[in-house]
Amino acid sequence: MISFHVRGSAAWSPGLETAEQWAKWAHEPRALEREGRPELLFVPPLMRRRCDQLSRMMLWAAHACCPAELLPEVNAVFASRHGAFGTMVGMLEELAGQRTLSPAAFSHSVHNTQAGLFSIWARNPRVSSSVAAGAATFGHGLLEALGILHAEPDRPVLYVCGDEAIPEPVRGICDHDQGAFALALLLTTHGEGAPLDFALDTSSDARPLAYPDALEFLRWLRLDGEELRLGPPRAGFRFRRAPTPSPSAGTPDSC
Amino acid sequence: MSACRLEELGLVTALGSSARANLERLIAGDQSRFGVTRDHVSGVERPFGAVHEPLPEISSRLARYDCRNNRLALAAVSQIRDAIEAEIERSGAQRIALVIGSSTAGVQAAERAFEVRREHGALPDCFDLVQLEFGGPAEFLREELGIEGPCLGLSTACSTGAKALLSARRLLELGICDAVVAGAVDSQCRLTANGFEELQALAPTLTNPMSRNRAGLTLGEGAALFLLTRDPGGVQLLGGGESSDAHHISAPEPSGSGAIRCLRAALADAGLEPSDIDYVNLHGTGTLQNDAMESRAIASVFGLDTPCSSTKPLVGHLLGASGAVEAGFCWLLASAPFQLPLPPHRFDGERDPELEPISLVRAGQVATRRDGSRLCTTSFGFGGSNCALVIGAGAA
Repeated sequence: MISFHVRGSAAWSPGLETAEQWAKWAHEPRALEREGRPELLFVPPLMRRRCDQLSRMMLWAAHACCPAELLPEVNAVFASRHGAFGTMVGMLEELAGQRTLSPAAFSHSVHNTQAGLFSIWARNPRVSSSVAAGAATFGHGLLEALGILHAEPDRPVLYVCGDEAIPEPVRGICDHDQGAFALALLLTTHGEGAPLDFALDTSSDARPLAYPDALEFLRWLRLDGEELRLGPPRAGFRFRRAPTPSPSAGTPDSC
Repeated sequence: MSACRLEELGLVTALGSSARANLERLIAGDQSRFGVTRDHVSGVERPFGAVHEPLPEISSRLARYDCRNNRLALAAVSQIRDAIEAEIERSGAQRIALVIGSSTAGVQAAERAFEVRREHGALPDCFDLVQLEFGGPAEFLREELGIEGPCLGLSTACSTGAKALLSARRLLELGICDAVVAGAVDSQCRLTANGFEELQALAPTLTNPMSRNRAGLTLGEGAALFLLTRDPGGVQLLGGGESSDAHHISAPEPSGSGAIRCLRAALADAGLEPSDIDYVNLHGTGTLQNDAMESRAIASVFGLDTPCSSTKPLVGHLLGASGAVEAGFCWLLASAPFQLPLPPHRFDGERDPELEPISLVRAGQVATRRDGSRLCTTSFGFGGSNCALVIGAGAA
């Protein structure tokens, strides 16, 4: 069991940006849209032009989640099952058509493109990592982030997880097209309120959740759930709110 | 962070498909193993460090994972399978983790599938989308080995393999597992060949790092997979350092500041001084920019006397796998009995006078072993992703 705090969070999906929109989504979730990309006005135009949908969503979430003074200071972990999938599929189509690749597209097709763009934009010289772990990508990326947090407990870790919608040419053979999204979490070892506990969940029962794990986690955070189980059977993750050491008795619930 | 033990190594490169074959040819500086690859689009031919030996077949049960990349991973893991199974026996399958890096994954299989789609209008039935997932190689090895702990794919361009080992060490440190199978694999594909061709990064003849005539990199393929535990003794991962350039998506920061930071972090993590290091395995890609930046960083951290070589003129640049393979070379050297033999820096001998005159290993050069050798390896990738590892004999 590993304890951590979520000091901040932000997410982007087409039509879902503001805290109010996400609060509403947490109560009445619906399937995510596929198309659309955030404006990213805080990124210099030359860099913005090179940003694919995933980079835009992830940078938007990172910017919205992380206080400006921490941007150059945090360690960062980016997780995505498919990375810049549209760029990759575009390059495969070019090669099949005997056409040469664009050097810019090729340079931006590595899985750590978003980590690289983040470090350049935020002038962040620190540790970063880029993870992919199939259906269990969110939990494994978080595990990587917690490993880095544990190694340097006083330095927050910015954890960003997201995926593009599955591109058209491969949509027909894909069983996990969940729309486009990115979630950013600012993780710390200390913070206000009860810490969250993270553990592996090796039980074999399925966890039929309708939305991407990252956003199920966000819902759970917003709805103050007690326990959350994510990931595939036998290779999942369990989150719990640790009991608050001394609850202030009788505090009226203002909501 | 605590050191961890690099128990066993499975290694497949152009130099051979066993650790022993790799060590012999590494010390000999054998450059005879390169073949030729032809860029699918331009038709231009380049040297390529292909694996020679036939690769094991993937069982029909795991047919969806079948591709050259996973066959290379299987060839490497087969060499250490007994040790992994003993570890599963000792700790239980749920207490073993996987951290497998790759920058290509099964993209070669995807290239063929997209060619079929272009000719026949649909992707072939045999093509599975997992081939395009960077987590695919880790997933394949989990199924192949029956491992039930965390299973993580990691991909940070050319620093992937080195970072996978540090990620594995962090999992051990968290206490979430008792052993980790970790390393990286990359395979020949049209995408990287054409991509680097279009970046004008490929050398027309064999890569020639640190030479005034250097003209780019030579690609290669292969896999290096370790079994890591918390046990003392043997050869250990003594330290690691990571940094980001925060400079450019595909070019290193020219002063070497990012490289210097990760090297100093690795030494501090290992509790060592620069003078404690017996040998540095350079990233040494043979591009103008890398070698200029790296020679500056090495001179700045180690001075001009620490023996260094790039082993890419022996196996090629294995991209994401290079960090793991070069850590593997350091592991082999640290495991060798008696004097520490060093891999020679093979190039045309015409040093670039513009570069810092770092000490490049000559053929037959041997390091004077002190109380136990300590070696360092560097990896620098697209996105400005830097990693340095320190590997050496651990306290028994």
